[in-house]
Amino acid sequence: MRFFGKTNIDFMGQRKIWYTVSASVILLGMVSLAIKGFDYGIDFLGGTELIVRFQEPVTIGDLRAAMDKIGFGKAEIKSFGSPRDILIQTVEQGEGSTIAERIRGGLTERFPQNQFSVLREDKIGPKVGTELRRNAVYAVMASLIAIGIYVGFRFKFIYGVGAVVALFHDVLVTLGLVSICDGMLNLELNQSMVAAFLTLVGLSMNDTVVIFDRIRENQKIFRNMPLQELMNKSLNETLSRTIITSGTVFVVLIVLLMFGGEVNRGFAFALTIGITTGTYSSIYIASAMALEWSLRGKAQAKLID
Amino acid sequence: MKKYTGKILLIAAAALLSLYFLWPTYRDYSLRKTLSTLHGQDSVQFVENHENDIKEYRAKRIKLGLDLQGGMRVVLEVDVLKLIEDLAKNRDDVFAQVMKEVREESRKTDTSPVLLLRKKFEARQIRMSRYYRNLRDTNDDIYKFLSDETTKAIDRGMEIVRNRVDQYGVSEPSIQKLGSNRIIVDLPGVTREAEVRTLLQGTALLEFKLLKEPEIMYRVMESIDKLLAASNVTDSTDTSATAAMPDSTGDTTKIATAEGEVSPEVFAKKHPFFSLAIVNAQQFPGEAVVAEENKEKVRRILDRDDVKRILPADMQLIWSAKGRVLGNGKRYFTLYPVKSTPELTGGVVTSAQATLDQSYNQPIVRMEMNSEGSHDWARITGANINKRIAIVLDNAVFSAPVVRNKITGGSSMIEGMDNIEEARLLEIVLKAGALPAPVEIVEQRSVGPSLGEDSIRSGIISSTLATVLTVLFMLVYYRSGGGVADIALIFCLLFVLAVLAAFQGTLTLPGIAGLILTLAVAVDANVLIYERIREELSLGKTIRAAIDAGYTKAFTAIFDSNVTTFITGVILFQFGSGPVQGFALTLMIGIVASLFCAMIISRVILNVMIEKYGARVSFG
Repeated sequence: MRFFGKTNIDFMGQRKIWYTVSASVILLGMVSLAIKGFDYGIDFLGGTELIVRFQEPVTIGDLRAAMDKIGFGKAEIKSFGSPRDILIQTVEQGEGSTIAERIRGGLTERFPQNQFSVLREDKIGPKVGTELRRNAVYAVMASLIAIGIYVGFRFKFIYGVGAVVALFHDVLVTLGLVSICDGMLNLELNQSMVAAFLTLVGLSMNDTVVIFDRIRENQKIFRNMPLQELMNKSLNETLSRTIITSGTVFVVLIVLLMFGGEVNRGFAFALTIGITTGTYSSIYIASAMALEWSLRGKAQAKLID
Repeated sequence: MKKYTGKILLIAAAALLSLYFLWPTYRDYSLRKTLSTLHGQDSVQFVENHENDIKEYRAKRIKLGLDLQGGMRVVLEVDVLKLIEDLAKNRDDVFAQVMKEVREESRKTDTSPVLLLRKKFEARQIRMSRYYRNLRDTNDDIYKFLSDETTKAIDRGMEIVRNRVDQYGVSEPSIQKLGSNRIIVDLPGVTREAEVRTLLQGTALLEFKLLKEPEIMYRVMESIDKLLAASNVTDSTDTSATAAMPDSTGDTTKIATAEGEVSPEVFAKKHPFFSLAIVNAQQFPGEAVVAEENKEKVRRILDRDDVKRILPADMQLIWSAKGRVLGNGKRYFTLYPVKSTPELTGGVVTSAQATLDQSYNQPIVRMEMNSEGSHDWARITGANINKRIAIVLDNAVFSAPVVRNKITGGSSMIEGMDNIEEARLLEIVLKAGALPAPVEIVEQRSVGPSLGEDSIRSGIISSTLATVLTVLFMLVYYRSGGGVADIALIFCLLFVLAVLAAFQGTLTLPGIAGLILTLAVAVDANVLIYERIREELSLGKTIRAAIDAGYTKAFTAIFDSNVTTFITGVILFQFGSGPVQGFALTLMIGIVASLFCAMIISRVILNVMIEKYGARVSFG
């Protein structure tokens, strides 16, 4: 079975259109980021988070009233997968577990007939929250740099730059979409979301490397072919595997998104977006960047091994 | 076929090894499944009969993270600021002002408080020796002293926490140091927050308690023994306990009970308590020893109300903190009979130091007390020469030395430690009373068991579904080649789980996500190879040549792309915590395993198939 026969698409010829598309998506995401920001999870904010399971479904309004009464009017309240499971998050810091106890007390008072059990309870000190946030940024930066160095070392320097620009693109697009969609999908930026970002950085590289590998190989065979043509040839030759490798990961991620449970949802969502944009960016960003460089700088000769 | 014998053997060996490592996980699962069908007496009986199996398999199975099995994680941080404040002498207004500034600044920066303190004093041109140690010491000396004390405080904190957790009786707790001043405590299955908080945060209590006379202990224990033998409600503790009788202490029976030789079974029936708690006036004067496996049973007995009533009001039975291995190779804990009221509490200890005694080359611990303590200590030791005094920290005995003579001047020497580590531990314990390691909880996470179950269920559903879809796709798209890739995929999953089990890795919920991703990555390698093979085939090569070329030419791309993912895995493991590390771990193991499976296993299978079926092998 085959999805693609021999294709002959002029990928590089259309690259300017796609620059616009990428730029608009990123811009949209950045606007959303600037206006509403992220829904940070407890990991990064510090504070107390409770997930409780009621016997009977409850409404968010009732819960809000209960929280207002005990002085946590600013607490974030949302359902966690089902109307019986509720997540309550407050940034308030208190000695010991008093915040959690007050919340539990408030819930018992408001819903005396509807018993609940605590599914999860997290308390993060302000210092730890700041640290985790900083570590997350370091981790993403470190992985971008490490990958840039590796690719620059295995291929030509400019390919490393192209790859890293593509990764930045993927991270920005995903960040933006997470910010746009977090209300609809109950997403929050937490540690496992950061894990998703790092993983998408790794996975997005897979496609890029496969394409670069083919360009490198073709450069040895077709020594006099112009780079744009050579890239198009390489991209067409690898198109089938690019789609299929990304496709299998995509299917697996969709399964995870749908059946992986509430805890894994944000992770799966970010990765699903990431793998899609990663596939696209290997073609229209990573390869295109290397091409731009060689066209502008007339450095084409240097790109050939 | 013959050319591949080596590789086939290698694969078979790897597979067998994997099964070997996964066996305990399977056994643990099936034992627990059986247990969950039993109720009441049957389940107690089952646990007793399979005690060793349960323990062994539990220890070697794939560990589930707290997010899957439920439990609590607490991160404690040593309050360095409080520590350096506590260590200072002659505190005055200037010192208070400096501390205030340090406190404010340390909230903003990462610089260690000790360094901040030094800078503040140096900016004011005040010698630190005004507040610390001797006047002659330079700032460098004191800086080093304070840094050392910080390091020691974390060790002390760890020891205090470990001691308390051990006594609390959590199964498989884990206590680790994190960075320079944090302690991570994982308590699987525990959800009683308030209890754990007080357990971990309270100030350590060090006490010196006099041991009761041996005769009194024997009498009390005899009463307990009689009570148990009379009341036939010993919850089957007596049936399986006989095996615990160590040979070296076989004569115990006669000393304790003045009876003739009897078989262990008969003895256990008659003396349910003495068959568990061994008393032997020659070997263990004035104390009782209990084999590790019987500790819980004895603890349960001592908790019974009727047993508690037997104990005199001024007497306690306290466990030793650590077990010791006796001649028969088993580990034993000691029960010390002590006076309830302590003779002294640890606040009087000013310093403790473990060293090697110059003349005898024996490990010893020197302990100094303040003037008030020295006065009491002289009186206590003077009145109790040749008696034993137990050093008790948070209700566990760390040592019970014999008083040799009256100690005046507050300087004592404790000897009789087996090695320098034991002496160091005692040093830590003695200091814990005087200079507590002030710790605060900076992070606390607890997961209830029901969320864990939900997570496991969704983990199983999603990974099964993802596997099925991937396997089917490969079969449809690449035909027999896809089938081979599927076999390699199954091997890959097997290897990942086995490596997790072998290296005591922890499976977390994000870890399951990592496992699912591994699936995708593992087939990716095969897709790259097969696409290449198709390409080579379309150039008109024979299937054998196409396969060889496919594997060789696809290798660099597969290798490079896996390295990049691996790099992110390493970084993630470095920066992440808890569940996220679990994800990074499975991802990294998965990458290595999938490389092995795609490059070696699927290739061998393909080659063997080509030899058998030739061109009928299809890549779709």
